[in-house]
Amino acid sequence: MFRKILIANRGEIALRVLRACRTLGVEAVVAYSEADRESLPVQLADEAICVGPADAKRSYLSAPAMISAAIVTGCDAIHPGYGFLSEDEGFAEVVRAHDLTFIGPPANVLDRFASKEATRRLLAGHGLPTIPGSNGILRDDAHALEEGERIGYPVLIKPAAGGGGKGMRMVRTPRELEAALNVCRSEARAAFGDDSLYLERWLDENRHVEVQIAVDRFGHGVHLGERDCSVQRRHQKILEEAPTPALSEAARADLCNRAIRAVVAAGYENIGTLEFLVDRDGNYYFIEINCRVQVEHPVTEMLTGIDLVTTQIRIAAGEPLGFAQADVVSRGHAIEFRINAEDPERDFRPVSGVVERYLAPGGPGVRMDSHLYAGYEIPPFYDSLLGKLIVWGQTREAAIARGLAALDELLLEGVITNISIHRALLTSDAFVDGKMTTNLLDRVGSAAFLAAAARV
Amino acid sequence: MPDDLPRPESATRSPGERAADHAVIGDLADDLLPALVAKLAATGLGEIEVREGPWRLRVRRPADAAVERARRAADGPSRSQPGHAGHGHSPAGFEGHRSARDTRAMTGHSTNGSTPGLTAVGPGPDRDTDDAPRAESRPSRAIATSPAVGVYQPRPEARPGTKVRAGDRLGVVDMLGVAQEVVAPDDGLVGASLVEPGQAVEYGQELVVIELVGAQAGEG
Repeated sequence: MFRKILIANRGEIALRVLRACRTLGVEAVVAYSEADRESLPVQLADEAICVGPADAKRSYLSAPAMISAAIVTGCDAIHPGYGFLSEDEGFAEVVRAHDLTFIGPPANVLDRFASKEATRRLLAGHGLPTIPGSNGILRDDAHALEEGERIGYPVLIKPAAGGGGKGMRMVRTPRELEAALNVCRSEARAAFGDDSLYLERWLDENRHVEVQIAVDRFGHGVHLGERDCSVQRRHQKILEEAPTPALSEAARADLCNRAIRAVVAAGYENIGTLEFLVDRDGNYYFIEINCRVQVEHPVTEMLTGIDLVTTQIRIAAGEPLGFAQADVVSRGHAIEFRINAEDPERDFRPVSGVVERYLAPGGPGVRMDSHLYAGYEIPPFYDSLLGKLIVWGQTREAAIARGLAALDELLLEGVITNISIHRALLTSDAFVDGKMTTNLLDRVGSAAFLAAAARV
Repeated sequence: MPDDLPRPESATRSPGERAADHAVIGDLADDLLPALVAKLAATGLGEIEVREGPWRLRVRRPADAAVERARRAADGPSRSQPGHAGHGHSPAGFEGHRSARDTRAMTGHSTNGSTPGLTAVGPGPDRDTDDAPRAESRPSRAIATSPAVGVYQPRPEARPGTKVRAGDRLGVVDMLGVAQEVVAPDDGLVGASLVEPGQAVEYGQELVVIELVGAQAGEG
């Protein structure tokens, strides 16, 4: 096991990793920017070190600053969290070059799964169905138009690197494709430093279902079930649940078993998530793999009781997984609500401000992962996630009931949040009937959901 | 701040282009300047820079305000005592933190849409003391802080008593083999070192005291 871990992230995930380190009895150092000096992870850390100014490019996205901080504080490993440097495949390599361990897959494994397009072909070779798409990376506009014609419109333009909806666009005609290519390239370049794009056929009414897996250095792997992340706004997940209401128990088992077999065969190591699109008829297609801890990992932790972050750290330290597929028992239903500092009345524009009052909800089956406290000033420099409320129930109905009660109990004053959209979702027919698709919120409009909820 | 922005150069421009430039400057001055000055006063920032197309507009507080800021950095309440919240087990290498109050003033870059393109290029004085009388006490010291997280090495030339100008190099912080310059924040004499050569430092950590020349008895 590691001696001391540098946590190269902020907000709720820095806190989550800090808690995992404490559980393992490993010392942790929280690396922070000047804007996060008063943040909860910094206050709770045994040790914290300021690595740069508020500008993330010079702090949370600066590989030299993070590695230097790890070295001068005597750390032997770096946990990147999600976002920031966890998305930078070069970072793991540089970390290793400085005799530190990157907590995630080893650099050579990351390299193999770095390109979404190449990963799609790799895992297709190991038996995962994929969406028809372009033959490799788009060389130029002419190649894109050619491939668009071959695949059939509408098509989805996707960056080969990164995630989070940046650089992604659905286009319905060759003319739209041509117009969108440059925008997607510059978005992808700005977000991931890589502007290679590829195309996929657009599945109009689809669900996003992902499989959580864990594989140790010795090739021993398990899946930890799936999560349904179909509730999205402009490709951004806002609510996740498990099990997915979209598939039967047999179909879910088939999906998860095929996913773990494919990644083990492809030589993956550490925890990871395989994302699939599921069409109306229950066909599923592999789209990409995330080689890091996901925002929505607590959903799986609630169902299985397995701590994914300590598992991730243990695997990175070279330990065997220590449990078999038969030990992974999934119980009940869990829902996670992303609580964001966003104004639902103003197109979910991010807001900042001071949290005047904050009280987390409690009770059986309720978990709140958040870095908030009363008096905390939300810095305007980073993403708008304030925390995640996760609820568990024996059944989906029980989880929804607990979700509504917990959202009502959550007291958060001084900052506008998106809590109202979660309440609206839990009372909407589309969600209650398990019929949410990834484009439903955008197609119907969040305002319609809010208005319908207000009438209830 | 990248300096590779296209800048209009009058020497190579036609009279028509120059007239267009003057028109833009006029518009910027009329439309933007009053708003920036008001913003500067309201926010307590030290300096504001705005970019619009190829143009950059920078508004800076008068020098006495900058000196006031330096005085606060030197004499103001600081969280530099070891063992404050969250840093209980810090190694001996980390003793200093810059006052959190300086950071508070850096609210320039806002995502709420009210001030697009506004970038704070330096921390300013605190809001609450903004209107305090400025002549009452001359600040005596300014502090050079660390530009990076790494290992500090002073320049042998910058020994105590050496006269320096603002911007002069006092030493470097080695961040993974890349030397980041530590510079004097103001004109003055090099004073006490707050950290040892070869010591690990964090970003913003106080490194060297600069005794301000104007405040030295018998030297003004």
